[in-house]
Order: sequence, then structure tokens, then C-alpha cells
Amino acid sequence: MTSAQTDSKTVLIVEDHALVAKFYRMALERGGNFTCVVTEDVPQILAHVAAGRVHVAVLDVSLANAHWQGRLIDGVELAQLMKQSAAAAGRSLPILLATAHAMSGDRENLLAASGADDYLEKPVFEAQMLVDKVRRLLRSA
Amino acid sequence: MESFIQEMKRYLGFTEEDAALLRQLGPRMEKYLPELAERFYSQIPHHPNAFRVFSGGEAQIARLKQTLQNWGKRLFCGVYDHAYAEERYQIGYHHVRIGLEQKYVISAMGIVRAFLSECLLLEFPAGDVRLRYARAVSKMLDLDLNLMCESYMHASMQNLRALNEQLERANRDLAEASRSKDEFLAQVSHELRTPLNSILGFTKLILDGLTKTREEERELLRDVFSSAQHLLGLVNDILDIGRIEAGRMAMHMEDVDPRQVLDSTLPLVTIPAHEKGLELRDETRDAQLPRVRADEVRLRQVLLNLLSNAIKFTPAAASGEPAGRISVRAQIVPASTASVAADGHGFLRLEVVDTGVGIQEEKREAVFELFVQGSAGRRHEGTGLGLAISRRLVQIMGGAIGIQSGDAGSGTTVWFTLPLAGEHAGESPAAAKEKLSARARK
Repeated sequence: MTSAQTDSKTVLIVEDHALVAKFYRMALERGGNFTCVVTEDVPQILAHVAAGRVHVAVLDVSLANAHWQGRLIDGVELAQLMKQSAAAAGRSLPILLATAHAMSGDRENLLAASGADDYLEKPVFEAQMLVDKVRRLLRSA
Repeated sequence: MESFIQEMKRYLGFTEEDAALLRQLGPRMEKYLPELAERFYSQIPHHPNAFRVFSGGEAQIARLKQTLQNWGKRLFCGVYDHAYAEERYQIGYHHVRIGLEQKYVISAMGIVRAFLSECLLLEFPAGDVRLRYARAVSKMLDLDLNLMCESYMHASMQNLRALNEQLERANRDLAEASRSKDEFLAQVSHELRTPLNSILGFTKLILDGLTKTREEERELLRDVFSSAQHLLGLVNDILDIGRIEAGRMAMHMEDVDPRQVLDSTLPLVTIPAHEKGLELRDETRDAQLPRVRADEVRLRQVLLNLLSNAIKFTPAAASGEPAGRISVRAQIVPASTASVAADGHGFLRLEVVDTGVGIQEEKREAVFELFVQGSAGRRHEGTGLGLAISRRLVQIMGGAIGIQSGDAGSGTTVWFTLPLAGEHAGESPAAAKEKLSARARK
């Protein structure tokens, strides 16, 4: 793409629909030269965040497989955990919520509840737009 | 006097009968008034609930007594007029004490309305004057305080309360309906956006030239295709739900041979079952099933739904483990356990039994709701509408549907019933059952 990143940053993708995750990965790798980690495993996610192995996250809100302390959690709660985990390790982790919850008010409510930094409404299909959003978050971090 | 009666009619729901009694008793009352008042005052403070109102002690009672006597005298002297009533009632809206006095005026007329008991419990701060009386048990007493009859006011207040409750319930139902409609829309929007994400995303990747090889493009196009198919299924299911909810699902009820339906439906799932290495077993094959009342197309849809679910939620065969199995079973059940709707008729109960992932107990009822999948773990393909539609279809056909599942991993049984068709409908389930098993043995 036009502006290749000099050092490759790693994007954490948390998304329970395999095909959607596949699209994010391809768009970010091909369109933005990012490295991607795709997982819904909460302990693993928090370990990545704490260790600074991921620099920015694209996070779905409805998660089918994110277990934490014996129960299922959604992206809102996961975003809070990730923010806490990053803060505890003295890092900052920008989070982009990408969700199919697109009724009026969802954006404000979800951003406020999760503490995430930005919001994308599905369908997300412009690779360049996704890349730009992620880059902007990385710059602001 | 007449204007007072009009007021009583307006504010307290006096009937013409009450009014007649008032007119008749009025002149006699003047004489008995002081004695009557004395009796009431001596009784009220001893009422178990009286302390709530008579917090003012003897002074308050004395004041009430005075007021009553004044009012009573003015009433019977013809001093009572319209303005007087207006004033009292308006003050009464806001003031407990005045509200009580109001009751005494009525008592002074000899038509004693309930104030010995429930009236003392009235909660006057309520906004609507009629609601204030809602709790009153209104009784008509004679001069010696014997109950003559329950007065109209009592019934009228009960009706008001019932009406009020009805209105409140209707209001709640409307709000609930509106809320679930909003929720349904939000869910539909959510569900449609997910396959659209793949369809639009992958085509745009290809159009943007971000793919590397021809083979990769083909792979993405296959993903697009499967997402579009999923979308189509979703649209069809949503249309079904819409039709059912609107009561516009046209059903063609006829006598249907379940054998034929099974024989034409099972082959549709043979390939997907075998692809996962699952055994598909029709345990009804040798039985001659009784005909049922059903819409054949919808019956097929329900069966296909249940079979597809069973295959979806049963893991593919792994080496070293016994292959998963999907079985179809049938039995005849008496009406009472099959459905509350029918009486005296037997039902055919069809079961789809799998050895799959099972459903957690707390989710067993929820899977029949819209957009709910029962299994924990990986998100499964599907709309989450299949069982919701199936339940509604089975109910429309006069049957019931349910689910049984042990703990996780121990498989699931989804059953549904359909009323037996005419020829079996009259006979006892036992007889039909006997016939079924006799045929099965052949």
C-alpha cells in the first residue's frame, strides 16, 4: 500500500466469526503490513497485552467463546480487562471495537461501557479504512 | 337535599336506589343524629386500624364530632348547597382529616358507608379522588349499625380498580411488545451484518487487488458464497418468523403419512451426516406410523431443522472414539402429556436423538427463543432461528415440542408431537400404540 509501516506492529484480533476474523487479518496484513494475532482465549489475550506483544486490538462485542473465571464474557468486559492488564504493566493499549450492534445509541453506550478508544460498525469491508483507523489509534497511543 | 344527592352520585357513585333511600331517611335522621354520631365516635378509635388516622387523639375526635354535627344540621336544615360540596371535596383531595370528615357527613345521612373499617385505611395522598376510595369496603348500615347490604359504591370501586389493573396490564403488554420488537430488529440487524461483512469484505479485497494468487481468490469467493447462502437462509427464516408472528402463516392441514415425510427428508441430511462420519439411524423404519394432522411442508421443515441441528451439534468422528449417532424414533402418546390444547386424542411423538455436545440445563428453554444457540464453545453456523420457528410451527399444527439433554457431551433429544389423523383420533392411545408396535414387529 502507499504508506508502508517501517516497523511492523502487531494487531490483536478478537472475533468469534472465523470469516470475519479472516477478513480483518488479510486486510491488516495486506493493506497495512501489520502482524496479526487472532484469538478468543482470554488468559492468552491478557498475557499478550501485559507482555506488550500486541500493540493495538480490534475487538468484537458479541463473543461466543471468551471465558473468564468460569463464565462467558463479552467484548465490553474484555476491553475493560485488557485496559486493566495494560495499565498494570505500565502500557497503553488502544482498542477498536468492531461490532454488528449498530442501532442508534449503541456506539455511545458501548464506547462508554467498554472504555475502548474507537468504534467501527459492521460490515467493515474497506481494508484501507480499517488500516487507517488502526494506524490512527497507534499514533495516538 | 337534591343537590347533595347529585354530589353523592357524582363523587361516590350513588345509585338511584341509594338516592331514594336518602330521600326517605333524611327527615327521620335529624332526630337520631346526635345519638348516631356518639356511637360512631365511640367505635372508631377502637378499630384495629384506627390509630393511623386518629393520631390527633381526643381533641381530634372532638373536632370531628363537632364538624359532623354542624354539617349534619346544616344538611337537614336545607343549608347544604352546591358550593359547600365543591369546597369540601376540593379540600378533601389534599387533606386526610377533611377526607375523613367527608365520610361522617354521609354517615349523618343515615347511609353509613364502610368507614368503620376499610375507609380508615384510605391512602389519601393518591392523586385521583376515585382511587382514594378504591380500598373502601362500602356497606350500607341501618341506624343500629347492622349491615343492610353491600352498597353500590363498593362494587363501583372494585370495577374501577379492575379496570385500572386491566389498563395497566394492557399498557405493560404494549410496552413489552414494543420492546421485543425493537430487540428483534436489533438482532436481525446484527445477524445480517455478520455475513455481509464477509461478503463485502472479501469481494472488496479481491477488487482492491490485495489477493496474491488465483487460488486465494477462489478460496475467498467460496467464503463469499457460503456467507451469501447463510444470508439467504437467514432472510428466509426471518420471513417465516415475521409471517408466524403476524398470524399470516398459511397452513394446509391434512392427513399426512409421517413415513413418507421421513423417507423424503432423511436423504437430505444423509450426505452432511456422512461427511462428519455420523451414523444416521431411522428407528421407525419398520414401523407403520399412523397418519397425523399436519401441514406436510411445515412438518418436513421442522424435521429438517431438528436433523440439521443434531448433525451440527454432534462432533465429527475422531479416531479411537465411537462415531456419533443421530436417531429418529417414534411413539404414540396420550393427549394429556403431549399438549394441553387437545382433549381425548392421541399424538404421534417423533424424536431426534443425537450423541452430541448437549445443552446446558439453563439454556434448554432458551434455545426456543429467537437467535439463541444452546451449545457452549465454538459458535456454530446457523441463524439461531430454527428451533424458534419449529416450536411455533408445531404449536400451530396442534402439537408440542421439547428438549431433553443430559450434561454437556451426553447428547440431546428434541421431540415434538402431532395430533393423530381422523382414523386414529377416536381410539385410545393404548389401542393405537398396540397397533403401532404390532406393525413394528411384523
